[in-house]
Amino acid sequence: MKNHILEKRYHIEIIPPRHDADDLESDLATFAEKYRRVMDSGYCVCLTDNAMGRMTFQGHEVITELGLPVEPEQVMIHLNTFHSKEQLDEILTALQALGVKYLLVVSGDGAPNMMRLTPRDLGSEGLSVTSVELLRYIRANYPGFVPGVAFNPYEPAEAEFAKMERKMAAGASFIITQPLLGRNEMFERLLAKYPDVPVIAEAWMSKRAYLLSDVVGYEIPTDAAYDPVATLKELVALYPRCGFYLSILGFKTQYPLIGDIWK
Amino acid sequence: MEAKTRDLWVFVETNVDGTAKNVGIELLTPGRTLADGQGGRLCAAVIGYRAEAAVQEAAAHGADVVYTVDGPEYEHYTTDAYAAALTRLVEKYGPTSLLIGATANGRDLGPRVSSRLGTGLTADCTGLAIDEETGLVRWTRPAFGGNLMAMILCPDHRPQMGTVRPGVFKKGPAKTPHAEIVREDIRVAPEAIRTRVVELIRELDAEGVDLESADIIVSGGRGVGGPEGFAPVRALAEALGGAVGASRAAVDSGWIAHAHQVGQTGKTVGPRLYIACGISGAIQHLAGMSGSEIVVAVNKDPEAPIFRAADYGVVGDLFEVLPALTEEVRRLKREKQSGKS
Amino acid sequence: MNILVCVKQVPDTTEIRIDPEKNTLIRDGVPSILNPFDGYALEAAARLKDKDPETRIVVVSMGPPQAEKALRACLAAAADRAYLVSGRAFGGSDTLATSYILASAIRTLEEREGPFDAVFCGKQAIDGDTAQVGPEIAEQLGRPQVTCALEAFAEGGGLRVHKEVEEGVEVIDVAAPCLVTFTKPAWNLRYPTIRRKLAADKAEIPVLGEDAFPAIDRTRIGLAGSPTQVKRTFVPPQKTGGVTIREEQAADAAKKLLALLDGRGVLAGGGESHGS
Repeated sequence: MKNHILEKRYHIEIIPPRHDADDLESDLATFAEKYRRVMDSGYCVCLTDNAMGRMTFQGHEVITELGLPVEPEQVMIHLNTFHSKEQLDEILTALQALGVKYLLVVSGDGAPNMMRLTPRDLGSEGLSVTSVELLRYIRANYPGFVPGVAFNPYEPAEAEFAKMERKMAAGASFIITQPLLGRNEMFERLLAKYPDVPVIAEAWMSKRAYLLSDVVGYEIPTDAAYDPVATLKELVALYPRCGFYLSILGFKTQYPLIGDIWK
Repeated sequence: MEAKTRDLWVFVETNVDGTAKNVGIELLTPGRTLADGQGGRLCAAVIGYRAEAAVQEAAAHGADVVYTVDGPEYEHYTTDAYAAALTRLVEKYGPTSLLIGATANGRDLGPRVSSRLGTGLTADCTGLAIDEETGLVRWTRPAFGGNLMAMILCPDHRPQMGTVRPGVFKKGPAKTPHAEIVREDIRVAPEAIRTRVVELIRELDAEGVDLESADIIVSGGRGVGGPEGFAPVRALAEALGGAVGASRAAVDSGWIAHAHQVGQTGKTVGPRLYIACGISGAIQHLAGMSGSEIVVAVNKDPEAPIFRAADYGVVGDLFEVLPALTEEVRRLKREKQSGKS
Repeated sequence: MNILVCVKQVPDTTEIRIDPEKNTLIRDGVPSILNPFDGYALEAAARLKDKDPETRIVVVSMGPPQAEKALRACLAAAADRAYLVSGRAFGGSDTLATSYILASAIRTLEEREGPFDAVFCGKQAIDGDTAQVGPEIAEQLGRPQVTCALEAFAEGGGLRVHKEVEEGVEVIDVAAPCLVTFTKPAWNLRYPTIRRKLAADKAEIPVLGEDAFPAIDRTRIGLAGSPTQVKRTFVPPQKTGGVTIREEQAADAAKKLLALLDGRGVLAGGGESHGS
């Protein structure tokens, strides 16, 4: 992961097509186009796992179905705790077979009707399954992966740093944060605490900053002016030590601009 | 079927030991009101094996007539045997209305019988009355997960049928029985019973849960944090003489058996008192306990949605509040027992 | 084995909101979903098919044209063929009329698809919540029923059904042809695969309207064929959240709460047993 930062390799998030897609064929074609473009640019494609509790096809399934290329340094797959044990092992085995290396291990948002891993499933003595237990399970049973974890600079600091210590102890290799809107004190504290860990900051590339209100914990007005490209430039300048994860990237107008911002 | 009488019948389901399941006796209470309103008799239909105790209990709780069908084929509930017996009784005597307790068996039997009789059935009623305008039974029941109530009538088909969940009505006091007992010899041949129970696999941690007829339920949710977290929940339930429930989150996390789950994909309950501990109040859970008379919520988070559905909300740590409550309940009961309060 | 699964498209009742002014349900914008219990029924059929790939799964739904979406979701997950029973004359049916129509449909489908060894249904629909249609269909088809099942296994020409009961699980053998209604097991309906979803999107779903059933008794369908009639509906009084108790000491909170509960007569005197 360190090399991603040294080589200025963006992480670009793509959400796989939904189970209830109106036109799956078309969605798959769009997905394939974006995926290949990210590959060709030398960036790393990051595929989500039922983001926001909305059922989508798994990254490995889409890659296999479309025959998309997997370069170990260019693919990262999200994995959350909202799976049955069978589904979990199926996913990990398939990813292994494809040669995927990087995982982002998160607890996940889930939805009321989704299956969830139990402590018993993972041989854990704990009371519930979070990214920590999942991470331990992966480290113990699928040692070939390089797993990373999430950091939320908008949660109460003490709890979040305590969580990060547990994640590190469980074997996390890198950290990806929630979207940064500019200079962020807690983020800087993270960098100071873990100088040798690759840290990747998320940049929200949609103009609709208000969609982040739940994430940041305060109401962002719907008409708030937000310039994602300018924000990205600012973050690149502020945090030269970090990598950058772009979510909701506009492939038509924004994509051509990002190459010049971080180089 | 044409009604031959203005009688109201209550189907009294029996246990294997020949006693009556509570719900059948409970239904004699509204049954009396409806029978009087219809101008007919209150009758109990008891089907079972060596079920004299059930017959006597029905008689002691106000039935004017107890029809009884007794035989080894009725020892354990089967759809075929019970549907045959109940349908034949109803066809012979022609009541104008029939109430069935909505236990698992009742919900299996009710629609089979109503369909066989070609009549209307209203399930899971929470209210029963005589409709002033029409003189018909007016059945009130919840739909859309409890978000909507519907009042139903069965104008032209007989008997008018309804199922009612245990605990919706209370058993009346036992009185001197005055019932006429009518024994009907209805046999169902073994070949006519098309299902066969092979075995019963007991769920070890089910702890004999009967949430659906419990008067008091103390439930634990995500906030209890783990299987050990249910200890204070159980202690309070025990002190109150109630049952232990759980939210889906707790069950899915493997902290307690599914038999305890209250909610849309678990059990629907209607206790007098429901205490939700460390439960956020997701709609699926509320759908399962919205029939509770009094709801108490105990939660650390003052913004938890459960507080909106609660009559009394205690904001606090359940690991402190529940033991304090348990202690206080025990103290109060000691006082009452010794006649001090 | 030939299995027919009856499914219903329902509003997602967890998303239903109440209009506080009109005191009615707000149904606009509430997403429609496959009734979760029907999903469990379909999964039970799929598990039988996992063990015996010769098994054929047909799904049928009675509903408006939009119900086709739920049928496609079933095809994407596990079903081989889907039919929609839809027609104006069917609207307004109560459970008896609905089960009459579905029983008629099942007999018609058996002419096309061959006899069904089993009909699977969800235990209840989350909008109506009656749990009546399954057993009523069974009665009208003259087939034995098992309700509240968790799982079913092929056993000597019939089915061995695991039924959820209070004490645990009852294992029941039932001869084919039969009808089984399903409650929630420890798992959910399987996810669609990309291939199945692509095929499902293109699948032809025949619509059976009134003319598909020339022998149907019109007096037994629709509003006129429904023995039960809705007199009126109302939104139950909403709890607005009552008394909040917030004390420094848990003991004080406990005393306060219990005084209130005792005042309402909830705490019986000394050690009564409840709920047997």
